Amino acid sequence: MIGNDVVDLRKAGLESNWKRKGYLAKICTPEEQQMILEASNPTVVLWLIWTMKEAACKIIQRKTGIRNYVPLHFHCEDLPCYNEHLKQGSPMLTGKLSYFGDDSLFREDFHIKSEINASLIHSIAVSNISHFEELHLQYLRPAINYREEFNNLSKLYLLASTPSGLPELVHQITGQKHAVSVSHHGDYLAIVYSDSLLLTD
Amino acid sequence: MNREELIAAIKEIASPYTGDKTALDQINEETNFITDLKINSANLVDIILDLEEKFGIEIDNDSMSKMLNVKSTIEIIEAKLAENDRK
Repeated sequence: MIGNDVVDLRKAGLESNWKRKGYLAKICTPEEQQMILEASNPTVVLWLIWTMKEAACKIIQRKTGIRNYVPLHFHCEDLPCYNEHLKQGSPMLTGKLSYFGDDSLFREDFHIKSEINASLIHSIAVSNISHFEELHLQYLRPAINYREEFNNLSKLYLLASTPSGLPELVHQITGQKHAVSVSHHGDYLAIVYSDSLLLTD
Repeated sequence: MNREELIAAIKEIASPYTGDKTALDQINEETNFITDLKINSANLVDIILDLEEKFGIEIDNDSMSKMLNVKSTIEIIEAKLAENDRK
């Protein structure tokens, strides 16, 4: 399974005041708060951590069929590649994130790939690092008919939606359902899908 | 506060964070903040903080996990207000 999340930094700057009292503590662990506050660009690190959590959350939601609002159950333990990103200006980062269930004995680890540029942060989560292979990322304009636009571009796949509103991607020849995740925020809509990974993988 | 008053209060608090004013006008107990009101999940934190301020309650993480729709939000506010009354 894959999950993704995009943050439009311009929109986030207008609509989210993460510096308001109590905000960080509701969504970030003490360690994450420290990473944010010590960063040279706290806003970017906050949204980086946030997209990592939201991307992994979409996998949990697919698996359980339940959408819970539990940002504190997702722990981003370190952002080793963020410093490298700052040093080398590389736009792609990799990281790790863990999800803890209600009883903290349940733990699931995720691998994350993130893209940071001046206008957006986008993260992709997978359960197994090999799942990054044969993954495609398609940015589209966030129009109502974005599925139509995707289907026109893709030819091979048909993007639709389950009754509960989750994206579904069907291979036109094999009829198999492939792993897919869609995220939209502000001016950006990102579709991530896999040629090899199926929805149930 | 009865349920209608609570829904009105939630509507007022959610208003700045939704781009879908039609859905907001039709708000009811079944309304989901993310799928119906198209509220960004990062702004759900703002709604939770605004509710805490307005009602003088503290919403713990367990309660927050369920606050995706109006019905559970009402139930949580009612439970927290009752807790405050007992103090």
